[in-house]
Amino acid sequence: MDFRESLKMAVKTLTASKLRSGLTMLGIIIGNASVISMVGLGEGGRRYINEQLQSLGPNILFIVPGNRETRELGGLEITRNLVLADAEAIAQQVPSVIDVAAENTTPGLINYRNRNANASVIGTNPAFITVRNFTTEQGRFISGLDMQRTSAVAVLGNSLAERLFEEQVPLGQSVRINNVAFEVVGVLAVQGSNLGVNYDDAIMVPLTTQASRIVGRTSPYGIEVGFISATARDAESMQTAEFQITNLLRLRHGIVDPKEDDFFIQNQDTLLSIADTITGALTLMLAAIASISLLVGGIGIMNIMLVSVRERTQEIGLRKAIGASQSDILIQFLIEAIILSAAGGMVGTLLGISGIGLLSLLTPFEASASVGVIVVAVGVSGSIGLFFGVIPARQAAKLDPIVALRSI
Amino acid sequence: MPSVIDLHHISKVYGSGNTEVKALWDVSLSINQGDYCSIMGPSGSGKSTAMNVIGCLDRPTAGQYFFDGQDVAQLEDDTLAVIRNRNIGFVFQQFHLLPQLSALDNVALPMVYGGTAAAERRDRAAHALERVGLGNRTHNKPSQLSGGQQQRVAIARAIVNRPLLLLADEPTGALDTTTTEEVMKIFEELNQGGITVVMVTHEPAVARLTKRIVWFRDGQVIHTHMSPEDVSYGALVE
Repeated sequence: MDFRESLKMAVKTLTASKLRSGLTMLGIIIGNASVISMVGLGEGGRRYINEQLQSLGPNILFIVPGNRETRELGGLEITRNLVLADAEAIAQQVPSVIDVAAENTTPGLINYRNRNANASVIGTNPAFITVRNFTTEQGRFISGLDMQRTSAVAVLGNSLAERLFEEQVPLGQSVRINNVAFEVVGVLAVQGSNLGVNYDDAIMVPLTTQASRIVGRTSPYGIEVGFISATARDAESMQTAEFQITNLLRLRHGIVDPKEDDFFIQNQDTLLSIADTITGALTLMLAAIASISLLVGGIGIMNIMLVSVRERTQEIGLRKAIGASQSDILIQFLIEAIILSAAGGMVGTLLGISGIGLLSLLTPFEASASVGVIVVAVGVSGSIGLFFGVIPARQAAKLDPIVALRSI
Repeated sequence: MPSVIDLHHISKVYGSGNTEVKALWDVSLSINQGDYCSIMGPSGSGKSTAMNVIGCLDRPTAGQYFFDGQDVAQLEDDTLAVIRNRNIGFVFQQFHLLPQLSALDNVALPMVYGGTAAAERRDRAAHALERVGLGNRTHNKPSQLSGGQQQRVAIARAIVNRPLLLLADEPTGALDTTTTEEVMKIFEELNQGGITVVMVTHEPAVARLTKRIVWFRDGQVIHTHMSPEDVSYGALVE
């Protein structure tokens, strides 16, 4: 019997019991939909993080306190041994570096008249705006003079300004940060969140002012900072800059053994590769969990096919009596299983793609279904049908026509 | 007349030792082309086993079976399937039609396994249905047909590949008297058309309509005679 006939026959049998076929496919449909949407979500997350990291610019270096090993192992142990003077020294003494910004973030309660907001208070220096490539929408950014005089001036993130002032002009107004009055001198343009920090919802003040009036504490070495970011002259001088900064900081911190480093330097590439590793592992995990449902769907198909062989012994006996060979029967049942799972795979794919659309609306991730994933998903579900269809199909093919015809 | 069925000392034994059952024991039987023959006997007499062997559905334990001159006693399953497909038509008590297929598709099924082209299948299936008087019911599903009509569809399916032999297992067992007569008339017409017909039956009235009766008992042929000579022989046996 040729293949087209087998196919037609299988379709006829399956459409004769639509409800059962639909329910049998359900497992594969759900499995496939979840695999595709989970992988889509993972990919979307990866792309989102990559975009964020790329928006930092290729020439930026981050100098973070802590030892690379202990930080990676310990995770939560955050030392505060970088100070503003380190940043200033880098700016003055490292020739391959153009600009150096230091940042220190503390939580704060901001109020303007009767409005309150919880926001990150970021103490920083004038170079921040050039290093991070930000712009002001109104007014100016923190100046060198503000730093020297520890002026009580503040620059508002865009959405924080909107929350506190709505239609009013914030410039020249006085806001209180943890009950200390600051004059608003500028508002940043919309920046979006960046490396997990939402600058739109933050308030920026001079680092010196933050240390003396908000934190109220300095280390013996000077004003502590959370991290330092520096821009290298160009992409080629990145390595030089990293080398020079490392040497300078070791000298300043009195470190001889590199293992004792109390800081480490990251750039866009290292951040990208770390993020890639994490999101890749996450995607894989999501896909693995989702594949379990695909597997369960396959077992469901095998189950129903086994029941179907039982129920259809007479049909099988008849087919054999009138001349069907073992392989005719085997192929018929295999094709039924494959059609069920491949059709389920396709429906599941459509469902998964719509699920991805929904996820894109609900999350900041641009989730997407790649053609590769779809081809793999449908292919895999088809092979699941083949794999789980073999046992029932062999059972059917091996039936003795006499026994099969007799059973009622 | 050349013989279509030639059984030489055929035995079929199930199990072994104490549980050994001799379903057929040293049966020799010859049925010629054009014969119209019924097989009778009490249940357990071996007539069903004989039918299975004759129909190439089962292999005998011992002996030779020449079907149309070819020894088929120990052929492979798939080879037997081809012989059944080309040369033997089956009619069963329970009709065994596939419920999801129309009458026409049911009749065409043996040709699907025989590899006949689709257009020819349709023509021949329609023709076979006309021959059993169901030319106007080609698109009905089995559930939309009466018992007699279903059995006629099954007969059309049995003859569609123009077999040498038509084997019927209690073909009227599930039918009433009127439809039994209709079905027997079709068998008679087919036999007159040259097909060898062999049927297993319990009913003397049905057996009387055939040309020859073979009696089985305890796995052996105990008597053969030309019908309608003394059908009540069964009463003696049973």
